Amino acid sequence: MLTIVRDLARQNMEFLFGLLLLAVIVGLVILSYFSPYGPSDLYLLPPDMPPDGQYWLGTTSRGQDVFWQLTTALRNTLYFGIGVAFLSRVISLAVGLVAGYAGGVVDRVLMAINDSIMVIPQFPVLILFYFVLKDEMTWTVLIVVMASLGWSYDARLIRSVAISLKTRPFTTQSVYSGMSMRKILIQEHLPYVLPIVFATTMNNMIWSIGMEITLSVLGFTDIETPTMGMMIYWANAHSALIAGTWWWVAAPVAAIVVLFMALFLLSMSMNEYNDPRSRLNRMGG
Amino acid sequence: MEAVVEVNNLKAYYRAFLYGVDREVRAVDDVSLSIGRGEIYGVAGESSSGKTTLIKTIAGAIRPPLRVVSGAVQFHFNGGTQDIYAMTPEQRASLRWRHLSYIMQGSMNVLNPVRRIRHSFTDFAFRHMKADRATFFDRVGAHLQRLKLDAHLLDAYPHELSGGMRQRMTIALATILTPEFIIADEPTTALDVIVQRDVLSMIREIQREMGSSFLFVTHDMGVHAAVSDRIGIVYAGRLVEEAPTRKLFQIPLHPYTQHLVSSLPRIGDASKRPSLEGRPPNLAMPPEGCRFHPRCPKRMDICSREAPPMVAVEPDRRVACFAVTGGAP
Repeated sequence: MLTIVRDLARQNMEFLFGLLLLAVIVGLVILSYFSPYGPSDLYLLPPDMPPDGQYWLGTTSRGQDVFWQLTTALRNTLYFGIGVAFLSRVISLAVGLVAGYAGGVVDRVLMAINDSIMVIPQFPVLILFYFVLKDEMTWTVLIVVMASLGWSYDARLIRSVAISLKTRPFTTQSVYSGMSMRKILIQEHLPYVLPIVFATTMNNMIWSIGMEITLSVLGFTDIETPTMGMMIYWANAHSALIAGTWWWVAAPVAAIVVLFMALFLLSMSMNEYNDPRSRLNRMGG
Repeated sequence: MEAVVEVNNLKAYYRAFLYGVDREVRAVDDVSLSIGRGEIYGVAGESSSGKTTLIKTIAGAIRPPLRVVSGAVQFHFNGGTQDIYAMTPEQRASLRWRHLSYIMQGSMNVLNPVRRIRHSFTDFAFRHMKADRATFFDRVGAHLQRLKLDAHLLDAYPHELSGGMRQRMTIALATILTPEFIIADEPTTALDVIVQRDVLSMIREIQREMGSSFLFVTHDMGVHAAVSDRIGIVYAGRLVEEAPTRKLFQIPLHPYTQHLVSSLPRIGDASKRPSLEGRPPNLAMPPEGCRFHPRCPKRMDICSREAPPMVAVEPDRRVACFAVTGGAP
């Protein structure tokens, strides 16, 4: 594992760059645990201070330190993305492997659900959920809702691999030796599809974090917990750009760009690592 | 000789109902044979003659659309009689590996490519041995040593092994629990002759040491000459001739066997080998009567009307041909 990372970092500029950016993000997330201020403390500091030696990224109109708020917001956003990615991976693995292996009626039913989820417009559904749930719309609930909207593409991908795996001799042998379906799926097929899942995890995080930011900026989430979208929401609410407190908007936007670039570069190089043909291309073969 | 497997009038058909057309492919039609304890029984025949279907049916590894239409497959393990199609799936599964094992076609690929070989052993064979893990792997190690494979290969991935090693590994996997009856479907196909010889001598050795019976399937007559004690020739889903190996090669009786044996090249003999007219029949629409009659140089009127039965012409030899048995009923 470590040698793979080392080789990738040596051979692949994108991977190295993505890893460095991710290291910056992770560093900020770790820093957030040493924040001198509580996550929702208000009017502690003088408002609208520009970046200087004391307040590295300035303060907000609500009297918060932008830098320390940013670290907490980044942490919450990242955990949100990981939560959605993890949960939706579990769903897509279960659905994809079972549908591909079982085939027949099971496959048709699962894929009917899958395709329905795929064509549902996600953004209006999320807004609808917010209006229905209102105060009960906590981050945990949002994670569950997003995960149950975000698994369908990968379930189809995994199913297509599972259909092929089903006909391979080692599956026939497993059936012949009397392994149960659950064991075949977990022990024989799961290791085969895991690399694909790793590659799609990043894409799923980009999607879910983007969704979260969009919802928060519009105020359709729990806006008291600091997240990237919530920072922009409050900055907009105080007309930060017109009032000249540009640092309040610039900091979260820059952090988002760094986060997305890190995830995108990692996902791209991971894809390349999983696909030997593009690896050959890079080597000039 | 005491029989370990008896197959009686076995018929296994593929039935496909597609786009309003009901098609029945008679891949195994009325096959009877019996295999003795400690015997290597070879099944020979060309591609798509139903060899693999026959042994799948004997192994009890059939899946729709393949169905057993009639007949029975009986094993005699532990002094009892087990009819494989009269058992519950659990009983059938409990026979596997301990009594009956199956080296599948393309067996080089039965090892999961993304898992270490050790896991293939635990996944496939461990459940059938009522022992703890340490004992199991002691036994695996000893067994691998006997097959001239190093125990550290267990921690390798299948792609790290050569084709011959992988093949020996799958044979080791199938024979680890010293089953009484082993079915091998083309275990040497796709190997070069040197590795082929290694694998064959290994199979011979296992058979001698464990006293197991083998059902050995391949279209390669040279391989049959090297390993099989008795050979059954399959043509278009039917057994046409069955004889001890030496007799079959020296005096083939059935016209199809005669052509098969005379087509084998001999060193120093450069004469042209005559090829049979026509192609093997489509098993969805086999010819009436004897399935070989459209291509048979010795065909008679009766051949296109009636299917010849298997008749014992000598105590250890059976053939299904009116021209040989002479018998019009």
